[in-house]
Amino acid sequence: MQEQIATLIRLDLLFETIGGIISLMVAYYATKAFNLTGQKRLSDLSTGFLVLAAGLFSHVGGTWYFFVRLGIEGELNPDLTRLIVLVTVVYHLLRMMAYVLFVVSTRRSVRTKHPEMLMLLALPVLIDANLEVLTIFILLVVVLQAFMNYAVIRSRYALYVLTGFSMFLLSHLFLILAGDNVGTYLLSQGFQLLGFISFLVMLYKAGRE
Amino acid sequence: MKGKRTYRSKMRILADMMRAIQGEGENGAGPTKILYTANLSHDRLTQYLEELAEKELIILTDSESNSRVYALTEKGRAFLKEFVRVERISEAFGIEV
Repeated sequence: MQEQIATLIRLDLLFETIGGIISLMVAYYATKAFNLTGQKRLSDLSTGFLVLAAGLFSHVGGTWYFFVRLGIEGELNPDLTRLIVLVTVVYHLLRMMAYVLFVVSTRRSVRTKHPEMLMLLALPVLIDANLEVLTIFILLVVVLQAFMNYAVIRSRYALYVLTGFSMFLLSHLFLILAGDNVGTYLLSQGFQLLGFISFLVMLYKAGRE
Repeated sequence: MKGKRTYRSKMRILADMMRAIQGEGENGAGPTKILYTANLSHDRLTQYLEELAEKELIILTDSESNSRVYALTEKGRAFLKEFVRVERISEAFGIEV
């Protein structure tokens, strides 16, 4: 049973790898758009998706190393705990940095020092609940801006972007509610993947229609 | 419905001119049509038409003095297609180009 849960939860590695690849694709097109137009905000958007991809890949790498390769369970030694905290904080900071860049690029017109950072370590995942709350607030601004943009231009492409960011927000909300519930955690990963798929569909349709 | 634009980048102006030409089909478009469709002053029209021709994005198909007609080149069509894609992606994120 324990093994099945471990296999199930490791779907997050696959989901986040796919998400990272889609992030790189969006970054590529945003860079291309920046090179063509010189619009600085496209460069910020590209950097945002690059940083998001870096965050996702660092999470995949860290999770794989600690929980798959080393097979960590139960009590941890202090050195390993420090390393896990470091990887977790880097992951959250990269995601927050990406979302702040999204706030900056799509606009119209703390690091915590608590030693008990790994609040969701009941599951073998690298997540910190305190940083998640901060991430949700930043993402809320991104979603509001995407909604306002859609309300103004009413294009289906803007709707895909709104859907993508909304899925990210749902993903983070479910993540913070996950606790030690594998199902909720996977639901969170599923919403994140749907968000990335929405961006992928937008990229595809923008070039086809 | 598009939002109110207060500023058009040079790239958008060039793309609007090329769209005006493309809108006239295979026959191409004359300067007056381009001027009105792309909403330009005469001076800018002349300057940008020269620039587009220099970059081989448009070609003067009828060079008789009173009936100049411009058409998109293959390179121009490819550029416009790419610009439309970039425009859609940018606007989807609320970024005007």
